[in-house]
Amino acid sequence: MSDAAKGFSLNALELQKYQPNRYPFLMIDYVTEVIPGKCAKGYKNLTNNEWYFPHHFPEGPNMPGALQLEALAQMLTVALTTLPGLAGSVTHAMKHIVRFRKEVLPGDRFEIETEVISWNRGMCKGVGRGYTNGELACEAEMLITIPTILEKYLPKKKEI
Amino acid sequence: MTNVEKYNKAFMETFNVEEGILSTLEYQGVDDWDSIGHMGLITELEDAFDIQIETDDIVDFSSYQKGKEILSKYGVAF
Repeated sequence: MSDAAKGFSLNALELQKYQPNRYPFLMIDYVTEVIPGKCAKGYKNLTNNEWYFPHHFPEGPNMPGALQLEALAQMLTVALTTLPGLAGSVTHAMKHIVRFRKEVLPGDRFEIETEVISWNRGMCKGVGRGYTNGELACEAEMLITIPTILEKYLPKKKEI
Repeated sequence: MTNVEKYNKAFMETFNVEEGILSTLEYQGVDDWDSIGHMGLITELEDAFDIQIETDDIVDFSSYQKGKEILSKYGVAF
């Protein structure tokens, strides 16, 4: 197995080379292992200081489902943007199917595992799962694109 | 299944349209023929005819009729 196939980790600073989101929308803290074009896994630590907990909800703070999904998509993005020439590329979500299974609470470590199912012509099909305390919290099938690549394959729009 | 039947099936299944509208169908002519749909159609056709379509041809594939011309370059006769 080559070194690249073995994968590597990215700390909180290093991962920002590959993931263009920033506070308050960067939803991953650490990439424990990424194999470019194949998979990425890591986590988000959730403290009482997360910006959304005071609002969602005051009497029962939990991580919004949309942001859990965003965390999965951001991790999947790292599996793509660590490919040669794609560092920091912006990705767009095209279609996600998600299932939420338990609340994600302050103090939890939100563990994320993602896998690339296919990557071709700027489109990626992938799956992701989020866990807390060893239990599945959410899972998603995701379709994301890197628009700068995808656009190269689209017919030109008609002149009006 | 004939080549025309395979070709039409790829369009009908990808874009969820009736066979009757295919002859005039163009890129973005129905909601499902958007960027995702375009890539889905290309993948369906590559699988159906066991070919690999070049980038320039994917860009030029702007209608049902144009697609037939393009596939003929890959030995698909209609």
